[in-house]
Amino acid sequence: MRALVIDDSRAMRRIVSSTLEKLGFEVNQAGHGREGLDVLDGGWVPDLVTVDWNMPVMDGLQFVSAVRANPAWRAMTIMMVTSESEHTQIVRALAAGAHEYVIKPFTADALRDKLALLGLLPQEVAL
Amino acid sequence: MSTIDTGERRRSGDARPVIPELIDEATIQSIAEDAWTALVGEDELLLPMPGELPDDVLSSWVDVVGPWTGTVVLTTGRQTAAELTRALLWDSAPELLDHEDVADAFGEIANVVGGNVKAALPGPSALSLPEVGAAPAVRNSADVCRVEVLWRGEPLTISVQGALPPLPVSQH
Repeated sequence: MRALVIDDSRAMRRIVSSTLEKLGFEVNQAGHGREGLDVLDGGWVPDLVTVDWNMPVMDGLQFVSAVRANPAWRAMTIMMVTSESEHTQIVRALAAGAHEYVIKPFTADALRDKLALLGLLPQEVAL
Repeated sequence: MSTIDTGERRRSGDARPVIPELIDEATIQSIAEDAWTALVGEDELLLPMPGELPDDVLSSWVDVVGPWTGTVVLTTGRQTAAELTRALLWDSAPELLDHEDVADAFGEIANVVGGNVKAALPGPSALSLPEVGAAPAVRNSADVCRVEVLWRGEPLTISVQGALPPLPVSQH
C-alpha cells in the first residue's frame, strides 16, 4: 500500500512517514496541499493520504476539497493529522471529505489503531 | 452640542478575560508533557522546576486569535533547541543542523502545544503558522500564564500571553 504524507514540518513528516513505513507502507511526502496535488497529478496515487491542516500555500482543508472534487481520486482514504482539535474543526474536515481525524500529539499505536479501523493495515506489525 | 468620544467609557465596560481565568499551569504542563512524549520520545520527561535560561535563547510561538487573543511561546537555550531538533529528527538529522532545521522542529513543537492550548480555551479560535526567533513582548503582565520546566536538565519556559495591553482603569 502507498501513503502520501503532507505536512509543512519536515520533522512531522519524518515522524508520520517513519510510523507508516514500519507498518509496511510505501511513503511519499509533500510540504503543503499544492505539492500534494502535484504528486497526485503526476500519477502517484496512494491508498492513504495523511494531511496537516495549517500549512502555507494550500491548507489541508483546501486539499481535501480539491481531492474530493476529482472522481478519479474517490477511492483514496484521507486522514487529517493536525493540532487543530476544536470540535467544529473536526466536523468541518469530515464534512469536506476526510475519513478520519488524528490530533497531534499522537502515538504510533494510536495511528496504527486508526488505520486498522479504516481497514488500511498492510500487515500486522508491532510498533 | 458635540461630544468627543475618547472610547474610555466603552472600553471600561468591555470586560475581556485574561488567561489565568481560562487555563492554569497544570493544564499547560500536561499539554507539554503529552507533546514531548509523542514528538521527542516516550522516555523524555519535562520536570516542573524553574531554571535559569542562558543568555543565548531561541523562542518558537503560534498566535491564537479568538475570544482570547494571544501567543503561546516556548523559549529555551539555542543549544537546547538544537538538541530538541536532533531528538525529533532522530536518524534523519543531518550532521550539521542549520537554522531551518531548528526552526522547523522547534516551530512544530510550538504548533502542537499551541494547538492544544487553543482547544482548552473558549472558541472558535484560529491558529497561526509557527514562527521562530526572539519572543514577542509581554503586553499585559496580568494576562500571562507561564510554566517553567527542565528537559534533560536544561531550562525551558512555556508562556501563554495575551496580545493586548491592559484595559484602562475606570476613573469612576
